[in-house]
Amino acid sequence: MKIIKTLALGLTVAAATQMTHAADTGFDMQTVDPEADRIALQKYFKSRFPESDIADYVNGIYAVDAGSREQWEELEEFPPYEFDVEQGEELFNTAFANGKGYADCFENGGIGIRQNFPYWSKEEGTVKTLEQEINECRVNNGEEPLKWGKGAIAQISAYMAWTSRDKVFDIKIPADDERAKAAYLDGKKFFYAKRGQLNLSCANCHVQGSNIAIRADLPSPQLGHVTHFPVFRSKWGSLGTLHRRYSGCHKDSRSKPLKPQAEEFRNLEYFQSYMSNGLVANGPGSRK
Amino acid sequence: MKKGLIIAAALAMAPTLATAASFQEAFESNRAMHGNDHVFEWKGGKYHTNHEEEMEARVKATKANAADLLAKAKAKNAEVAKLGFEWKLTGGILKDAQKAIDEGDYQKALNLAAQAKYHARIGIQQYHYAQKNWHLSVPE
Repeated sequence: MKIIKTLALGLTVAAATQMTHAADTGFDMQTVDPEADRIALQKYFKSRFPESDIADYVNGIYAVDAGSREQWEELEEFPPYEFDVEQGEELFNTAFANGKGYADCFENGGIGIRQNFPYWSKEEGTVKTLEQEINECRVNNGEEPLKWGKGAIAQISAYMAWTSRDKVFDIKIPADDERAKAAYLDGKKFFYAKRGQLNLSCANCHVQGSNIAIRADLPSPQLGHVTHFPVFRSKWGSLGTLHRRYSGCHKDSRSKPLKPQAEEFRNLEYFQSYMSNGLVANGPGSRK
Repeated sequence: MKKGLIIAAALAMAPTLATAASFQEAFESNRAMHGNDHVFEWKGGKYHTNHEEEMEARVKATKANAADLLAKAKAKNAEVAKLGFEWKLTGGILKDAQKAIDEGDYQKALNLAAQAKYHARIGIQQYHYAQKNWHLSVPE
C-alpha cells in the first residue's frame, strides 16, 4: 500500500513538473523565456530522433536521415561552395575606392565572428545581421550596396563563415532592453504562425514535419538551421544567403514573400539563431 | 446485454452529434463535398454553398460592376497585406482582372476580382487565427 501511495505521489509530482514545464517557454512579453525555448526544442528533437546527437544538427537533415547523409558526404568530398569561398576571400580583401576594406568595419578584422550574428543593436533598436553589416560597410565607405540573396554578398558572407568554423553560437538577448525580447518573440511568433494559401507555418515543415517527405524532399529540423549558412543549394546551382532561403520558404507556403533583410526576417533569424546557441558555426554548407 | 445498450446509445447519439456542427463546419463540409451552388440543410434552414464573393460576382457583367468589385478586392488585399498575411497569387489575379476589364471581358474580370477578394478575406481570417493559436505547435 505504501509503495502505491509513494508511486502515486511520485507520479503527481512528475505530472506537476511537466505541467509547470509546459508553461515555461512563454508566448508574450511577460512570460517568453528564450532559454526554455531552446531547451524544449532540443528535448523535442532528442525525443523524435534519439539516435542523433544534438551537436550534429548543424548538418540539417543529414543529422537525422542516413540515406541523405550518405549522398551529402559524397558531395562534400568536393564541396560545391569551395570556389565561392575563394572568391569571397578575394572580395573581402579587395580595398574600396577610399583605400579601406571590410576588415575595417568588423571586430577582429571580420575573421572568426560569424557566430556573433545576428545581434541586438541597442543604439539602432533593431536586429543586425552579418549581410546587413557587409552592405553597411560598403555604403559607409562610398560603395554601392550589393544585391541581397546571392552573388558577391553570399560569397563574402561564406568566407567570413569559413573563418568562423567551429566557433560556438552565443546569441544574446540583452535583459536591459525589452525591445530585444520583443524582437525575439516576434521571430518566434513568425516561425510558429500558419500563413499563405497552403496554411503552413515554418514549424509545420521544420518541427513537426522534419524528416517527413514532402514529395521527394525531407524538410530539415529547425534546430541548427542557421549554422551552415550561406549554403550552396543544388536546386539553385549557386550560393545563397539565409534570407534568400527565407524568401523561398515563405513563397512555398504561397505567401507573398518578404524581401531579404525585412525586419520580420531579421527577427526570425534572431529567434532561430538563439535556438542554435551552443552549436558551432559550420558555414558555408551544401544542400540539395 | 451491456454491449447492445452501448451500441444503441451510440446510434441514438449519432444524429445529435452530426447536427452539433457549427454553421461554418456544415458549410465547409458541404462546400468540400459538393462545390458551389449546392443547397444544404442546417438546423432546419436551407443554405447554399457559395462564397460571398461568388455571389458578389453574380451581377450584370458591365464595366462599372467589374471595376467596383475589383476596387473592393484591391482594398481587401491591401488590408491583409498590412497584416503581413498577403497570399502569393493574389497580386497577379488582381492584375489579370484589370487586364480583363481593359479587354472588355467583364464577366472574367468579375470572377477574378471575386477570387482575389476571397483570398484576401481568408488571409485576414488566417491572421486572426494565427494571433490566437500560433503557440499551439511550440514544443514544450
